[in-house]
Amino acid sequence: MSALVLAEWHRLTSARLWRWAVLAAIGSGAFTALLAFIGPENFDPPLPGLHTAEGTRVVLGVLGLLAFVPALLGTSAVAAEHRHRTIATTMLYAPRRWTALLAKIVTFTGAGLAYGAITAVVAGAGLFTAAAAKGSTLGLPPGEVLALLVRIAVTMGVYTLLGVGFGALFRNQVAALVVLGSYFYVVETALMLVPGVKALYPYLPGGATAALTGFTYLADAVAAQTGQAAGTLLPASLGGAVLVGYAALAALAAVAAPLRRDIT
Amino acid sequence: MTAVEVRGLGKTYGPVAAVTDLSFDVPPGEVTAFLGPNGAGKTTTMRMVLGLVAPDTGSATIGGVRYAALRRPAATVGAVLDTSGFHPDHTAGAHLRVYARMGGFPRHRTEEVMDLTGVTPFAGRPTRGLSTGMRQRLHLATALLGDPSVLLLDEPANGLDPEGNAWLRGFLRELAAQGRAVLVSSHVLSEVEQLADRVVVIREGRLAVAGPMTGLYAAPGVLIRTPGADGLSALLSGDGVTVERTATDTLLVHGLPADRIAAEASSHGILLHEITPVRPTLEQAYLDLTGGPA
Repeated sequence: MSALVLAEWHRLTSARLWRWAVLAAIGSGAFTALLAFIGPENFDPPLPGLHTAEGTRVVLGVLGLLAFVPALLGTSAVAAEHRHRTIATTMLYAPRRWTALLAKIVTFTGAGLAYGAITAVVAGAGLFTAAAAKGSTLGLPPGEVLALLVRIAVTMGVYTLLGVGFGALFRNQVAALVVLGSYFYVVETALMLVPGVKALYPYLPGGATAALTGFTYLADAVAAQTGQAAGTLLPASLGGAVLVGYAALAALAAVAAPLRRDIT
Repeated sequence: MTAVEVRGLGKTYGPVAAVTDLSFDVPPGEVTAFLGPNGAGKTTTMRMVLGLVAPDTGSATIGGVRYAALRRPAATVGAVLDTSGFHPDHTAGAHLRVYARMGGFPRHRTEEVMDLTGVTPFAGRPTRGLSTGMRQRLHLATALLGDPSVLLLDEPANGLDPEGNAWLRGFLRELAAQGRAVLVSSHVLSEVEQLADRVVVIREGRLAVAGPMTGLYAAPGVLIRTPGADGLSALLSGDGVTVERTATDTLLVHGLPADRIAAEASSHGILLHEITPVRPTLEQAYLDLTGGPA
C-alpha cells in the first residue's frame, strides 16, 4: 500500500496541478488576510470589526466558504485518470482495484490537509498582522482563532475527499466539477429558501461546515431576506461528525464505484 | 507450461456478442500473432485476459492464475493497450517513475527500460509533445518495467515509422528468444509475417484458427503458362501432385518444384512461356479465414 501511496504522490506532484493548488491555497489565505486588512466594518453592508468576536468569525467564515476549492483538486484523483486514459495502466499495476483507490484517497486527503494548512497559516498570519496593524486585538482569544483555523484546514481535507468521491462516481472530470460547484454554490443555498427543506440544512455539507467553522452569515442573510427565522446549526462537534460521515460516504463511493466497472 | 491459457471466453455487450467461446494458448518462447478484422473482439479478449473487462463466460489465466490474483501482476505480465494514454503534464521519465513506484520496482529499472526502448533521448519531454512513435516506445517501456515473462501488446506498431517497425520486430523476437511469451495483435500482416511463430485468428468473436504460422499457409505452388497446358497437366498429375487449371493456358501445380517441372516439360518438348514459384501470402490466408475479399 505504501508503494501505491508513494506512486500517487509522485503522480500528483509531477503534474502542474499541485503548483496551482499551492497558489490557490496561498491565494485563499491571502484573500482572507486582505479582508482582515480592509476590516469587516468597511464591508457593504458594514459588519462588526475585527476587535469583535463576530467580526473575526465573519472573516474566518469566508475562508471556510473557500473549502470548496480543494474539492476541485480531489475530483482529479480518479476522473483525470479517465480523462487522460491512464486508468487501464493503473489498474494493470493494481488489479485489486480497491488498493489503488484507497491509495488515492490517502494521498488526496493528505494533499487536501496540506492545502488547508497552507491556507490556514497564510490566513492566520494575515489576520493577526491586520489586527496588529490596526492597533487592536482580535475579538476572539488566540487559542480559539487557532482552533477555528485548524477546523477549517481539516474541513478542506474532508472536502478534498468529497471531491475524490465525486470524481470516481462521475469519471468525467468536467461533469464532476460542474456538479460539485453547482451543489455547493447553488443547490445548498437554494435549499435554504425552501420552507421545510431548510430544516435539513444543518445536516448538509455546507451546514455542517458552517457549524464546524462557526460561520452563520449565509444562513442569517437568507433568513433576513426571507423574513424567516434562521435555522439552528448543529454544535461544532456534531457538524464535524456529519462532515466525517460525508467523507466516509465519499470514500466508499470512490472505492466501490470503479470496482466492477469494465475498463474499455 | 502454457503462459496464457484462454478457455471458453465469452463477452456480450447488450445484444452484441463481442467474444464467443474463445479458446487458445500463448506459449512461452514464441511470438503469437493475434489477428482479426476490426471489431472481431481482439481488444476485448486482451482486456479480459488482463482483468480489465469481466468475462460473462470462460476464463483466462496466466501460468494458471487469473491476472487479478497474480502476486506481482506487473512483474508477471506487461501490456500495451491501444487506448492507453499518459498524463500530458508528466514527462516520459516521470510517467515511468510513477509506475515503477506503483510496481515496487527499483529506481534503476526506469533507466534500464528507457535505454532498452529508446526512450532516454526524450525522457525529459512532457508526454503531450511526444510523437506517436515516441508514445509507443513509452508504452512498451511501461510494460517492461517489471521485466515480465508475458507480454500482451495491442497494435504496438501503430504509428511507428519503417525504422521503428524494424526495431520493434527485432526487439520482440529477442524478448521471445529470452523465453517470454509474446502476444501481439496487429493489422499490418506483412509485419506479422516476419515476426510471429504462431497465429490466433478470430472472426466475429469466434476462433477461426490457432496454431503455428506455417500451418496457416496453403502449400507453395508453381504457376505455369504454356500453350501445351493439356499435355503438361496429364504429364505432371500423379501421386502427391495436384494440377489446377486457372486459365486456358495456365496451370497451378502443387507438389513439384519448379526445376523438376521445367525438366519434365523440356524432355517432352512442351514449350513454357512462364514458370513462377508461387509463395502463398499471409494476407491471402488471413482473408480466406476471415471471409475478406480474395
